Amino acid sequence: MTRTISLGLRALLWLVMSTCIWGAFFYAWSDPAFVGQSSRILFFHVPMAWTSFVAYFAAAVWSARYLWGGRQMRHDRAAAAAVECGVLFGVLATVTGSLWARIEWGAYWNWDPRQTSIVVVLLFYGAYLALRSAMADREIRARISSVYALIALVVTPFFYFIVPRITESLHPEPVLNKEAKLDVDPRMFQVLIASALTYSILFFWIHNLRARTQALADAREDEPS
Amino acid sequence: MPSPTSSWVASAQAVFTKDWRCELRSRYALNAIALFAVTTLVVTSAALGPAGTNKSLAINVLPAMLWLILLFAAAAGLPRAFVHEEESHTAIALRLAAPPSALFVGKLAFGVSLLLAIEALVAPLYLAVMSLEVASPGLLVIALLGGGYGLAAGSVLIAALASQARGRSTLFSVLAFPVLMPLLLLAIELTRNAVAGDAAGPALPQLLLYDGSVTIAGLMLFPAVWNP
Repeated sequence: MTRTISLGLRALLWLVMSTCIWGAFFYAWSDPAFVGQSSRILFFHVPMAWTSFVAYFAAAVWSARYLWGGRQMRHDRAAAAAVECGVLFGVLATVTGSLWARIEWGAYWNWDPRQTSIVVVLLFYGAYLALRSAMADREIRARISSVYALIALVVTPFFYFIVPRITESLHPEPVLNKEAKLDVDPRMFQVLIASALTYSILFFWIHNLRARTQALADAREDEPS
Repeated sequence: MPSPTSSWVASAQAVFTKDWRCELRSRYALNAIALFAVTTLVVTSAALGPAGTNKSLAINVLPAMLWLILLFAAAAGLPRAFVHEEESHTAIALRLAAPPSALFVGKLAFGVSLLLAIEALVAPLYLAVMSLEVASPGLLVIALLGGGYGLAAGSVLIAALASQARGRSTLFSVLAFPVLMPLLLLAIELTRNAVAGDAAGPALPQLLLYDGSVTIAGLMLFPAVWNP
């Protein structure tokens, strides 16, 4: 029964994902006067950046649950898996972003505030993974890395204030901008929101697989040989 | 029977006094930080000469160099605050002797006072060898106090994490630099404003907010780091 449901959900995810990708190329409208066809990378870049932040936030929530929710190892495994996925999506967002930057701004990399912030955030979570690999004892590793994930949550918001002051940004305004008013074509908006949701679901699926394989690896390590 | 508050304060104070007493006996961190800072200062000065006479260098380059010297000096000495407790196996006794939050505050006070002492040595020397004229010295003092506090607080918290892992000193830099980066950017901005004679701007409240956030995060998270 659960197998059928799980199979059905995966088929549904595949269908929705395909629809989003199709929509990005054929349904959404692109303004030829602005950036033309290259703007379609937006439907991959923005959801990936968004998903990486969902992943980091989820990692912090699981870390807090580990520390103050009875110290259960499954919460620590979930946090670690979320950071791994977050780094993956963050790297993909950086790569897609810099491809677009090459086309529109003329260079892959030019230390735009957004580029600076995403690199610092990647360094942060890279350090998290380095920290994990430096501790052999599972309990200590879970405790210390949970604390680090929560420190990240406290410190990273500062970049939001600081970095834009250092250099001018060429990055397009966020779709949901400060005045909270919609500044895009409705079709573009639909595909964007649908992709953001679908990629987040994709993240939770990958995350679930990763956390479960880690649980199996841990269980196998504990078996008397 | 002393009240819980006064015994908490007494514990924090005892940790602070103990750390300074150990430090003055061995002078390990003090020597390491001071010599490191002076060496880098000499190298910078030899490479750049009296760069303060050049207006554009004075505003754009020298404030950043000052904070880089302080960052690396802090990274050379402050991780020891917790590493030496693990190495000399005194961590267990310390766990019994003081509640974690008092221990954190004691270590924090030690780290902050150590770093401010180093700043008091390095900053005037730096201004002198670089011939750097500061338009608003008051703001520079505020930047050094606020920045030094945040630098020490962040380092002490990360030192507590790193002391639990293998390869402590390398790991400390990897863990600490992303955490300290917003603080350094804010401190550099404030120092630059002080040199140029501009108003403090939004960097000052943000620096204080960072100091407050790291302190609160430390108080909340340190018990989880310290107690198994």
